[in-house]
Amino acid sequence: MSDLKVDGFKSSEILATLGSAFEQFSEAEKKNQIKKTNGIFELRVKNEAGQEAIWTIDLKKTGTVYKGAAKPKPDVAIILSDETFTLLADGKLDGQKAFMTGKLKTKGNMMLATKLDGVLKTAKAKAKL
Amino acid sequence: MSLQNLISGAECALPANPLAQVLKHTEGDRTLQRDRLAGPSTSRLHQLPPSATISANERDISLARQFFDSNAPNIHAPSPHILAPNIPHAELARRLGTPVAPVSTSGDLQDAWTRMEMQKQRLAQHRMQEDSMWAAEFGNAMPQMSIPGSSNQSYGQPQQNFARSSYMPQGSFMQNGMQMGGYGMDMMSSSPFENMHDQKGKGKGRAEDFEAAFAQFSSSALATTQSARIVEVQDSDTEGIEAALAHTGLDDTRVDDGVDSGTTFQKVWDELQKSDIPPAEKDLAKWEAEFNQLMSSQRDETDLDFGSGMKEAWESGLGDYDQTNALKFTDQGIPLLGDYVFETNNKYLADNTTSPLAQAKALLEQNGSLTEAALLLEAAIQKGDLGEGGYEAWILLGDTRSMDEREEAGMRALTEGVKRAEAAGARGAGMLSLAISYTNESFEKASLTTLFRWLVARFPDYTPPPETSASLSNSPWDSQQRVKDAFLTIAREQHASGVVDPDVQTGLGVLYYNSGDFERAKDCFESALTVRPKDYLLWNRLGSALSNGNKPEEALWAYREALQMRPTYTRAIYNVGVACLNIGAHKEASEHFLSALALQDTTEGEKSEQLWFTLRRALVAMNREDLADKAKAGGGLDVFRAEGFDF
Repeated sequence: MSDLKVDGFKSSEILATLGSAFEQFSEAEKKNQIKKTNGIFELRVKNEAGQEAIWTIDLKKTGTVYKGAAKPKPDVAIILSDETFTLLADGKLDGQKAFMTGKLKTKGNMMLATKLDGVLKTAKAKAKL
Repeated sequence: MSLQNLISGAECALPANPLAQVLKHTEGDRTLQRDRLAGPSTSRLHQLPPSATISANERDISLARQFFDSNAPNIHAPSPHILAPNIPHAELARRLGTPVAPVSTSGDLQDAWTRMEMQKQRLAQHRMQEDSMWAAEFGNAMPQMSIPGSSNQSYGQPQQNFARSSYMPQGSFMQNGMQMGGYGMDMMSSSPFENMHDQKGKGKGRAEDFEAAFAQFSSSALATTQSARIVEVQDSDTEGIEAALAHTGLDDTRVDDGVDSGTTFQKVWDELQKSDIPPAEKDLAKWEAEFNQLMSSQRDETDLDFGSGMKEAWESGLGDYDQTNALKFTDQGIPLLGDYVFETNNKYLADNTTSPLAQAKALLEQNGSLTEAALLLEAAIQKGDLGEGGYEAWILLGDTRSMDEREEAGMRALTEGVKRAEAAGARGAGMLSLAISYTNESFEKASLTTLFRWLVARFPDYTPPPETSASLSNSPWDSQQRVKDAFLTIAREQHASGVVDPDVQTGLGVLYYNSGDFERAKDCFESALTVRPKDYLLWNRLGSALSNGNKPEEALWAYREALQMRPTYTRAIYNVGVACLNIGAHKEASEHFLSALALQDTTEGEKSEQLWFTLRRALVAMNREDLADKAKAGGGLDVFRAEGFDF
């Protein structure tokens, strides 16, 4: 989904990949993801320039990623920097560690934020044990 | 544990009221600076928007800042002495719910303390500040038995927490960033909890009382000599404290909106996170529980905009969303998947001559098709030939399905198998595989629980600390550390006697894998491989640890080993494809996925959705959306051959 991209944000690449990953889910896969996650994440990403971009990952109703604030209200709003999000998505930073070091802030259902890790992993192909 | 109880529990035993104490503790600290701080803490924070402005929280922030940066009068020398003795006692007391009586120094704690001090200077410094304050005020305030006395107790608790945190080996520090927050929580929760406590309407009056009491008693404490001394808390004293607490606890009013606390909490939380101090390991559970409580109370309350908005959204969401689809979990995180779904057109069902179970085993020996083997096993089960103990066939089926990259089917079969194995008293059969399946599907809590159950089943002589199993239902972050500790204990014992148990190493590897520590996971799998070099499953696991640890080339090497031993190992082929994808070799990746799919092409049943999905990803990455559209369940593979994919 190219309309997910926002200039100046590395995260937008990742989110675009995530978005297209979601698009390619078959109905069954989508239902599966929704079942597993069951939440709407609002991501508020700030880049070095100080701009803020908002994306929403809806894994409760539609199973899509879209730009802009969540409608209806999200289950959890996650506030983090561009850098943090990139590290998170690469798996270099663990969601919990990010939270504990203050790189990631949440508003709302904090426990759901821990599922963000899992959601991001679907953006990146993961090897199976 | 209700938050209310924490603040002003009727059972005012010191350990059961940690929040109250922490709360008062911070209070006390602030007396000197009270004048220059803005606004009283007692005012209820009015309905603030989620992005609460600083004004009302200023004091909290400054409190927080003070905690970490303050140069409050210190008693350096004696404080360690004070601390050390409190550790075991407080811990014990907390656990038993009895009042705490600090005892005289115990030597080894002292040593641990000094060691820790050297390691973490800053920690020590902060702790000492707290301790000294506590010691001084505690010692001096003992005579004053009313509310200030109860405030004393509050000092005890956070001190013990700090002491514990320093006491804890620093190994945990690195491991779990979570701990820092927990620690910070302990130190700082006073302010947010103080606010929350206010807002909970427990009585502004009460807070005011405390403040007044503190002002009076703290100033007196500070005014007196700075030499700390250990004072035995007599039982009679603690009774007085209890009474005081009980009295104040009776101020109970309705539980007020806790959402503001969430936002204030967030602010302080942010401050906290700027420090690197790790929390006490043992407190992690407590902290986590409190934190969860706080967060859930935040969710439950409806008064605040955000809270109520969310609630509406939640409710409307509930309306739209088909609840029956949501995956349910047990409180230990195990997903309730439902029964295994057998293939409908199983040609082996009709065949009544040979034992399908035996056939399946033979097929697996000979590296035959995994899909065929699975069908045979299904037939065996449906015919009632369940193998050893009534579980063998199920577990074998589960393993086969997983190897064939059909995770969900594998999980269900393994769940069934493990259930029966447990009933038959088998020592942990199938549990490792099940835990791995859970990990692959990101059910980390379930994986943890299952690994723990395996450990306990396999090593019945080993008794882990009771908190371990308790933590599995409550605090996922804490329980991770605890289960790891349990495994490490066994591993060390084995190492001491020169034994390397590949299963223990595998379990430990999975634990590290779960928490993203792929380096250590790799080490564990490698040591397991020294004992079982021909175990293709282990090679695959090593490969995945490398691959997810961002070492795709090494991963490929490990996968090739696995595939040499079992060429039909679909999952390994899938993983090779994933590694190629990560390197950027999209065409090769697609070819690997296609060969995996081709392996599954021997039956009328569906091929693995996971394979199709990842194939689509690879194709899109190659900008072949047209092919991606064809890559779905029910699709044929020849079209890809025609396109030049070599598989």
